[in-house]
Amino acid sequence: MQSETARVTTARESSYRVQYPNSKRRDVKVVALDSSSAKLVDEVSREHWNGAQFFTSLSFSADSEPGATGDGLKAWLKDLAGAANDLVEEVASSDFVVVVTSAGEDARAVSLIADACALHHKSLVALVVPGPETSDAEISASMTHLRPFARMLVIASGADYISAMLTALRA
Amino acid sequence: MLKKEQNDYLTQTGPGTPMGELFRCYWMPALLSEELPEPDCAPVRVKLLGERLLAFRDSEGRLGLIDEFCAHRGVSLWFARNEECGLRCPYHGWKFDVNGQCVDVPSEPAESGYAKKVKLKAYPLIEKGGVLWTYMGPPEKQPPEPEFEFCTVPLNQTFSSKRIQESNWLQAMEGGIDSSHVSFLHRGDLASDPLFKGAAGNKYNLGDLSPVFEISESDGGLLIGARRNAEDEQYYWRITPWVMPCYTGVPPRGDHPMHGHFWVPIDDESCWAWSYDYHPTRPLTDGEVAAMKDGKGIHVKYVPGTYRPLANKDNDYLMNREAQKAGRTFSGIEGIGMQDASLQESMGPICDRTKENLVGTDNGIIMARHRLMRAAKALTDKGVIPPGVNPEHHKVRQAALLLPRAAAYTEGAKEALIAKKGVRQTSV
Repeated sequence: MQSETARVTTARESSYRVQYPNSKRRDVKVVALDSSSAKLVDEVSREHWNGAQFFTSLSFSADSEPGATGDGLKAWLKDLAGAANDLVEEVASSDFVVVVTSAGEDARAVSLIADACALHHKSLVALVVPGPETSDAEISASMTHLRPFARMLVIASGADYISAMLTALRA
Repeated sequence: MLKKEQNDYLTQTGPGTPMGELFRCYWMPALLSEELPEPDCAPVRVKLLGERLLAFRDSEGRLGLIDEFCAHRGVSLWFARNEECGLRCPYHGWKFDVNGQCVDVPSEPAESGYAKKVKLKAYPLIEKGGVLWTYMGPPEKQPPEPEFEFCTVPLNQTFSSKRIQESNWLQAMEGGIDSSHVSFLHRGDLASDPLFKGAAGNKYNLGDLSPVFEISESDGGLLIGARRNAEDEQYYWRITPWVMPCYTGVPPRGDHPMHGHFWVPIDDESCWAWSYDYHPTRPLTDGEVAAMKDGKGIHVKYVPGTYRPLANKDNDYLMNREAQKAGRTFSGIEGIGMQDASLQESMGPICDRTKENLVGTDNGIIMARHRLMRAAKALTDKGVIPPGVNPEHHKVRQAALLLPRAAAYTEGAKEALIAKKGVRQTSV
């Protein structure tokens, strides 16, 4: 007699999997860390997304430096419409945060975002996008900046990978 | 998640499909050498990429992989007599050589030349490292022979096995690049399996259940680094290479042999899970080989006379709830290979990826899918030879090592990730 496991792993039985949605909309915040990656993020943002929000720059007030935490953390994310949004509030309302940097650009701002993620227990995924002329040393430098902060650090092949990843994550 | 059309694109490997054409660019493991042990031995049925074939070794030891069915009336040549440099169909005596060429049609006068006009499809079959490899693409595009290290070391330094997996190849392969499941599913085996236990690095696996990942593209595929906290301001790195389309290496443990897999589609609902073990600088010990033959490490015990695992879906994989409850195994299934296979087969013959919910740490899987689709499209649209065809791409190694926290594994492990003849693996 066929075991239950054998019976339920046929293609026919697979067709009886319940068709109800098994997850809710993701609130993903995608932040460009520099002007080059801002162009990529802007490009990606034009596609259709479920709940992803895109930010093209980060700024912080004079009395809040990278490393500040809690109430001392004052920084703003600029969205595609040019509006300034409170970093901590944006991170708090997210499911996870994706930062994008172009290899060789200054990625130190990630520490501020990482502090906000730590404050609200959110995962941080970091993508490094090399350009056609990028050297290994530049990639390495970007990775060094991001390594302490990201749960997942990826050298992406280009803007198409940013889209592929966000789609895969239901962003 | 994938859209349905993307899932279909990646999981269908029959003739004429984009992924099928991609697979047909590579040499792939087809049989173990032990399956065709001597001249004129019994032929073996082989199904690969949705094509039914027959492998045999002729009277002079030459290897053949041909269409399974006789060109005359469609009889399976598995029933043929393997004699005098060819397979003779027992129905009407037609005979075929290792190239699929018909060499005798007894009902027609030999002088008529009729036999010369009949030829079965045949693919090259070569022997390397105890494995018989085939290439199923256009003859004019046949690449140089594979150079994976496990098949280039002396035969006493390598051991390969295979098992049938009753699922699509992709869900099996994705398990091979998904390092984060090891700390859960296989945790019971790190301390007990003779091919794993005793390595100094095991304590880092068990001590840090939240690895952090870094992924980069390599010439042939991907390098997936998983780091865990270690003492003295260091990270313990385990680096998994994936070579397109379906080769994965498992990072080593101590001086144990290194191992890994090939995931070769049989059809869209089953695949061969190949498992290799080798040591770059020394013969495998009798104890190691005995353990491998006994189904330890990444190998499995078989239903006698077959390559079907002894623990399989027909017996609920010999699920042991008591061992699960006691923590001897995390899932209740014994053996690393079947722990993986039982769960991957439970996804159904072809996993429905429209329902999955990936997280950031699944980027290795996301990136592999992306690279496969990109390569298949470039091949279809522009005839671009995909990564992993060039034998130089095969000369990659898995590695496990401690590095200072500031170091990138792509730099700190650069030499460790290159297969070099006579050089020991880098392992903790």
